[in-house]
Amino acid sequence: MSIKYGRDTEVVHRLRPEPVTAREQAAQAAVADLDFEIFQHKMQMIALEGKETTMKLGASTAMRWGDVAFGVYTAQGDLAICATGIYHHAVLSQLPVKYLVKHLKDDPSVGVRNGDSFFYNDPFYGGVHNADMGLCVPVIVDGELVCFIGAAVHTGEAGGSEPGGMVNGAKSRYDEGLLVPPIKVGENFTLKEDLLAMLATMTRDPRTMILDLKARLAAARIAERRVRDLIADKGVAFFVGALRKVLTVTGAAARRKVAALNDGVYRQPRFLDTVGPESQLLKINLAVEKKGERITLVLDGSSPLLPDRPLNTYFQGIIGLAMVYFCGWLFHDLPANNGLLEAIDWRFPEDSFVNAKGDVPVSYAPATQVAFTQGMFMAGARMTYATDPSRAVGAWYTGFAVTVFAGLNQWGEPMADITPEINATGAGGRPGRDGVDCAGAFFATMSDCGDVESTESDRPFLYLFRNFFDNSYGHGKHRGGSGVGFGLKVHGVPWVVLGGMGFGSHFPATLGIFGGRAAPPAFVQTVHGSNAGTLLRDADPRLPNSMGALYGRGTPEEGQRGYGNLAAPPSPFSEGDTYYVPVTGGAGYGDPLQRDPAAVVRDLRAGRCTVQAARDVYRVVVDPHTLHLDEAATEAARTQARQDRLRRAKPYAAFEREWERQSPPAAILRYYGAFPDPAAPATGQDRAA
Amino acid sequence: MKVRITENLDIDLPRETWCCHACGHELTSARAAYKTGCVVAEVPLAEAHPPLVEGQAYSFTPDADFCRLLEFYCPGCGTLIENEYLPPGHPITHDIELDIDALKARHGVAG
Repeated sequence: MSIKYGRDTEVVHRLRPEPVTAREQAAQAAVADLDFEIFQHKMQMIALEGKETTMKLGASTAMRWGDVAFGVYTAQGDLAICATGIYHHAVLSQLPVKYLVKHLKDDPSVGVRNGDSFFYNDPFYGGVHNADMGLCVPVIVDGELVCFIGAAVHTGEAGGSEPGGMVNGAKSRYDEGLLVPPIKVGENFTLKEDLLAMLATMTRDPRTMILDLKARLAAARIAERRVRDLIADKGVAFFVGALRKVLTVTGAAARRKVAALNDGVYRQPRFLDTVGPESQLLKINLAVEKKGERITLVLDGSSPLLPDRPLNTYFQGIIGLAMVYFCGWLFHDLPANNGLLEAIDWRFPEDSFVNAKGDVPVSYAPATQVAFTQGMFMAGARMTYATDPSRAVGAWYTGFAVTVFAGLNQWGEPMADITPEINATGAGGRPGRDGVDCAGAFFATMSDCGDVESTESDRPFLYLFRNFFDNSYGHGKHRGGSGVGFGLKVHGVPWVVLGGMGFGSHFPATLGIFGGRAAPPAFVQTVHGSNAGTLLRDADPRLPNSMGALYGRGTPEEGQRGYGNLAAPPSPFSEGDTYYVPVTGGAGYGDPLQRDPAAVVRDLRAGRCTVQAARDVYRVVVDPHTLHLDEAATEAARTQARQDRLRRAKPYAAFEREWERQSPPAAILRYYGAFPDPAAPATGQDRAA
Repeated sequence: MKVRITENLDIDLPRETWCCHACGHELTSARAAYKTGCVVAEVPLAEAHPPLVEGQAYSFTPDADFCRLLEFYCPGCGTLIENEYLPPGHPITHDIELDIDALKARHGVAG
């Protein structure tokens, strides 16, 4: 069958660098080392300027607060230079460019010329979900296509059957909104108004859609000017050769780093507790096989394809999110580009939600992908501790807890987007140090949650509070960084639609390492018909000013109170209704009984640790009034706790015999596959049945 | 000769054994899963993650239908070597399976 008018299943496998052309081979051989160093620095600065420009000009939450990847691609479409903290785009954003090169560059009805600009958001090529939208421009010098320049950014609304780009209730990809393969949206340095109008009309937030698109283009044009200056100075051949050489040296360096790790197999199954509209169990079965200079990611034994639920992900999205671990942690000192994949192989099962096919929905793929990435962190910690303990870190918060909203804002403008607190989660504990409090998002490490006031200025919300949540991280020898809790009141509009995207309300999303505890499950509290506005007006001191206070000492707020999953289809909220979300902390690292008691006391004084956790988890004894540490009593309590552990525990074999007689209820295994091994043939006698 | 493998685990290469880093207790063969040399307990979820909301399905405590917490201790000293959050009854993960021959060769220990 011709792929001319369908998705191209070949191009998405071209994640590694394209074969070196004769032109590239000759050109890179002529690049001197010193010139190459200067070139890399200049190009990185050009990309960084592009990223910053995109952020400054954009309108969506994610673009404004840094969920931006900006880079320079070779003429074949490989992303050689990339400025980003969202490292998945360091490999995924090349696929639309490679599609463009393969299908459009030489097509007489489209072609590639100076002044053109191309837009795309089909997640089949972008890999994640259709809220991630990109734009690129070609750079042609003396008739030779020398590179593309582009930006990939999350625009928080993609026109699906639910707002916010992540559709809980999607039953096929046709429920998910805009799905655009690369199309030419501009010629002769001018955007086509008819196409802009189409894109704006197909989404709920036309202002944001178009401003974001123009921001990408403006940044690309500035970078194009810089690149042309550099080419004028050094010549086309140097530029082509040096760009290719970046990929070459990156691949070689990645293989050397992998070779230094201990050979073995490192496993981490991951469990998701939602399929979007329902609480259901899913399994990602990750094994990281390390041998010699290569790492192979094996996902055999993961849950089957979900025909009508949006947690599916394309395999390329999984590889993209693996790059978050590789670029940010394992290969943190190497350039972020797809040359790193010269050291990585992968194996995916055919019938699995981690290898989506056909028309199945994928708009919740980010949840599946970050759950996988956390498995990479955990397997990676076991793989790296022996040779480089600094890489063996606990996972950052993983469950998203994104609040989605849509409607008219207080200025009467249509809006649909997500809240920015996902960029304020806690980092994982790590060797010798606690995780950073409110560090950011592990998959968007250069992003920020912005100011409350900025969000309030064009979103119809009043923040009741947004600050640390002292119960939000995993305990351990080195605790996870604290997450954030926030409360919103709908403000200035008669109503707005609110919902949530995330997972981990039943099975914790963020698991500890080397004995560290998970960050606790998170959920949303809502109050319809709330009297919070009256309490605020009266400056009632009992009104909680933090998530810890809300759940610790209670609240005088009255109304129709509900608790629910982080994953929640959007529904209407009236002015005055309230919405409370914990966007939690990082994973714990190591045995909590080995935590320095002085660190526990420090956390108690700072409000980062509850009295209960200090007493019951860390077994630290303090004077309740002064918080002075009782060292002798603490040592005695910890000795007792270790003895209690041994009294409670059983030898492995005896424990395993009893343990494996259990299973989850069948009602939550509808999408899991056979339990416990989803890849096992169904027998009709599954233990859960 | 011992080499450190994780925060809590060493391998004695000549003896090919997993050892507790805290007390040196020999757990099991380095060619087996270290967890098989540990003692194991299921920790009540409300003890590990106390509820902050009374009487509700959502409370900051994991849902026992979905998830349980297992802890693996050194039988010698009670140090928590590792934990694992698993659905009830799901097989315990063999999470570190090292190529012991390659490890010994790397460190110059005779095979």
